[in-house]
Amino acid sequence: MNYEKEEKLVSLLAVRRGAAFWPRQKAAILRAAGEERGPRRAWLLAPAAALAVILVLVLARGPQERSPDGPGAVSAAFIEHLDLLADMDVLEAIPEEEL
Amino acid sequence: METEKKAGPQGPGAEDADSAFALLVEEQQRLVYAVALRLCGNTAAAEDITQETFIAAWRHLKDFRGESSLKTWLLRIAANKARSYWRWRRLRAWVGLADRGEDGEGTALEDLLPDDPAGRPEQAALAAELERRVQAAINALPPRQREVAVLRSQGVSMAEIGAALGMAEGTVKAHWFEARRKLGASLGEYL
Repeated sequence: MNYEKEEKLVSLLAVRRGAAFWPRQKAAILRAAGEERGPRRAWLLAPAAALAVILVLVLARGPQERSPDGPGAVSAAFIEHLDLLADMDVLEAIPEEEL
Repeated sequence: METEKKAGPQGPGAEDADSAFALLVEEQQRLVYAVALRLCGNTAAAEDITQETFIAAWRHLKDFRGESSLKTWLLRIAANKARSYWRWRRLRAWVGLADRGEDGEGTALEDLLPDDPAGRPEQAALAAELERRVQAAINALPPRQREVAVLRSQGVSMAEIGAALGMAEGTVKAHWFEARRKLGASLGEYL
């Protein structure tokens, strides 16, 4: 096949569409790309949203009175232990010759 | 290619990714659509493949290593999607789900015409008949020859075809030689 025939064959195989087709197709592609990206950005926001929900729940519960028998209650033995430690601090701070 | 100059081989920066992508679509959509249409012979499928090709490119642009041009990368994606289309068609035919509307040569007449044919019905009919003959001739080619012929007929260079289809340039030339001979025999009256 000579060059001229090849050129004609290539021309026959070319695709021709109306001028209005291309902007419409481009718009459809860009719209689809935008939709593709939308959910991904939403996923990026998901951890922040979850954190906000947890914060709201914690704040909604408000300050609660502690039960005197609960783990927050300070036992007398513990206070005595602290007193002993305080005494130790005082003792350590006194020079040896004064003892 | 203008897109490659602006976007660079590593892909566009995040700040102007949208405009770079729009430019890429503007520059390459005709080529991608033409290849998709000639490879599957169905306008609806060609529109889907074109859209999916650009969406896949958009999704994986950050993974693009720049070893080939964006153009050959898009062509490779489109060719792969066209192959998937034929696999899907064969599977549907195998389970007996293929219908007339999905036939590769069953493209609607109005889809094949470039402009409004109102007032020139004879010309429109001739154009549609030519289009059907051309598509039938392409469909009759073996898959590799068809891919090479379709890309070559859209002005893609031998080297670019080789890069897009993963073939040596010599193999591309051999396929084009054989495809050209067969197409010449099928469409001789128009040449």
